[in-house]
Order: sequence, then C-alpha cells, then structure tokens
Amino acid sequence: MAHYQQGDFNAAAVLIAQLSPQLHRFFLAQLASRADADDLLQETWLRIHKVRHTYRPGEPVLPWLYAIARRVRVDHYRRSIRTTGRQQAMEDMSEIPATVSAGSGRLDDFSALLAPLSDGEREVIVMLKVEGMSLEEAARATSSTVGSVKQKAHRAYKKLRETMSATRRSGRGTAEDCRER
Amino acid sequence: MKDEEIDDVLKETAGGPHVLKAETLQRVSDSIKTSLRPVRPLPPTWVLAGGLVLVCAAVALAGAARAGFYGIGKMDFLERALIFSTLVVSAWVVGIGFVHEMIPGSRRHIAPGALLAIVSGLSVCVFALLFRDYQTSAFFSAGIACLLTGLLFAVPTALLAWLLLRRGFAVNPVSAGLAAGTLAGLAGLGMLELHCQNFQAAHVLVWHVAVVPLSAAAGAFVAWALRLRASSGDRERVTRN
Repeated sequence: MAHYQQGDFNAAAVLIAQLSPQLHRFFLAQLASRADADDLLQETWLRIHKVRHTYRPGEPVLPWLYAIARRVRVDHYRRSIRTTGRQQAMEDMSEIPATVSAGSGRLDDFSALLAPLSDGEREVIVMLKVEGMSLEEAARATSSTVGSVKQKAHRAYKKLRETMSATRRSGRGTAEDCRER
Repeated sequence: MKDEEIDDVLKETAGGPHVLKAETLQRVSDSIKTSLRPVRPLPPTWVLAGGLVLVCAAVALAGAARAGFYGIGKMDFLERALIFSTLVVSAWVVGIGFVHEMIPGSRRHIAPGALLAIVSGLSVCVFALLFRDYQTSAFFSAGIACLLTGLLFAVPTALLAWLLLRRGFAVNPVSAGLAAGTLAGLAGLGMLELHCQNFQAAHVLVWHVAVVPLSAAAGAFVAWALRLRASSGDRERVTRN
C-alpha cells in the first residue's frame, strides 16, 4: 500500500489482484448481481485511487478498504433507488432469495443463506466469517464500535440458526414423506 | 444448532477463493494507471486534532478580542480554570472524533451523537456547578443575542476545520458533519465564555450551551444536503450516459 502511495504501478497491480476477489465477493454477498458487483468493484478502486492518501502506513489495510467499499455500495444503492424510483421493487428483490431458499429447502447458495439478514448483519458476517477479519477490523470498517459489531453478529447468528433449523426440519419432513410413500 | 455448525455452513457455502476474470482486473488496473503519481499520506491524528483545537481557540480569541474580554475578566481563578480546561479537553476529544470520521477505517470509540451528548452534558454540569445566580432578567432578549453570536462564530470555525481536513474522506458525511458542527459549536461557546459577562445560571445553561447542539445539527444538515446534491449530480450523469 505504501508503494502504491508512492506511485508504483506494480504495487497497485498486486493490490488489485489480491484484494479484488474478496471485494467482489463482498458485493455479491450484499445481493448484488454479478454485473452490479463488477461495476461496484471498478467504482471502489477508482474511489480508493482518489483517496489513497487517506491510508496511513502501519494501519491495517482491510478496514480502510472495506470502509470505502461500503460507502461506494451505499452510494450505488441510493443512486439506483433514485434512478429507478422503485424503492418497493428493491425491497421485494431483497426478499426473493429468502423465499427461494425456504422453498427449495437448500442452502447451497451463499447469498440465499444470508438473505434473511439485514444489510448491517450481512456485511458483518461476511467480514468476520468469510474474509476472516477480527472484531476490531470489522468495527473499523463499519465505523462502529466492537460492541456494536458483536451485537450484529449475535443477531445474525440467531437468525441463521432459526433459518437453518427450519430448513433442516423441512428437509427431514420431506425425507419422511418420501419414505411413507 | 451450535455456532460452530453455522460457521461450517457459512465457510462451505462461501466456497473457496473467489476467482475474477482477468479482463476485469485488467480494466481496473488500466483505469488507475494514467493518474498514478506519488501522494503524501495524511499527518497523524494528533497533529490534525491539535490543528483543530488551535482553529477553535483562534476563532474564539479573535471573536472575543473584537467584542471584548468582559466575561473572562469577571471570572475568578476557579471559574476560568474549570470552564476553559473543560472546553479545551472537549475540543480535543471532539477533534479526534472528527479526524476519525474523515479517515476511512479509523477506530471509533464513541459515536459523534454520543460525543455531542457527553460534551453538552459536561458543559451543563460545569456551568451548573459554578454559576449560582438564579435570576432570569432579560432571559430571551439577552439569550437570543448570545445564541446568535455563538452560532456566528461557529461558522468560520467549521469552514476552517473543513479546510484543514479537506484531504480527508468521510465514509459517513452526516456523522462527519455532526462532529464538525459540535467542534464549531465549542468554539462559539468558548467565545461566549470569554466575552459574555451575564453569569445568570439560566442564561448560561440554556443559551450558551445551546450553541453546541444547534451548531452540530446545522453541521449534520449541511453534510446531508451536500451528499444529496452530490448523489443528484451522480444520478444526472448516469441518466445522461
């Protein structure tokens, strides 16, 4: 990162190659389509490039990077709502994966698994469990306190536990139905 | 279902390393290549926070120098020590909070809203402890004049603070505006304490302290309006494209 700030293109290319996949997955996990995730990734790197002087050597890179990515995502979300003027449609869209997941009884899709969670809970779970960030790093990235991150993770786990238990029960029920037949 | 089982399911469904198309990465690299030049990182937090405290002190002193140091002249040593040390410490803490709001990924101990409540509460406690004159003569006329004077001096403080941190990037502009407004309000309050010689408890507790939350609210509103304007600009660009 320090080399990137000094204008080293190779360092920038290495950073882009190493960090883009996890940023892309972060956007996908927020229920973005692949095309949207591509756009958000590009926009995030442009924003990172513009404010790269705000990174201070010695500080952790991931929270800085994700804080910017979050802002880009929020801006994109607001813009899309205003552009289409169909806020209700967006809310409906966010419920689609949850319905599909419950209906199919399978949790094979990561986005579908996280769909019942709120935006804040979802991003905390992705940061902690998928990207392997610490509570402190997730708190920095979300501009909140460690206590708030813990609370969101706790709520998310409660919801996930309920969803998974319901899925298991319905799966077991289906298997018993098959056996009876 | 145990937490460990949920962890396993999350890891399993997230899959292995996410692979991106080479052309996507290439496109990103190309987009920044043309404007890649060395940049100077921001100074440490304590330097920026120190600068903000100096800005507050300079504005308050300049305002009082113009209007007269009647308030501080009438205070005894204990009042001066308690009031101005509280204001300096508050400005330092809020200044650090404002710097953190302007640097992505900074550690946040207290949210700007909570910081505003603490700073206002602390000022109320200090003033309630020191000022025991419970008369309320010319409560509204004198009070509104003080409130407007305090807010008037909060404006240049906010502008100078923004100038000092213009290279920063607020991930949450409304929070940053709230922190900037709180800091500017403290400068306005400092100016009033240096200048105003009305030591009636009700006057100081209501009209002097009110400068801080009102200035904070104005800061948050301005930041919200600017963000709205910026996103409208983005929308127009998107629509044109």
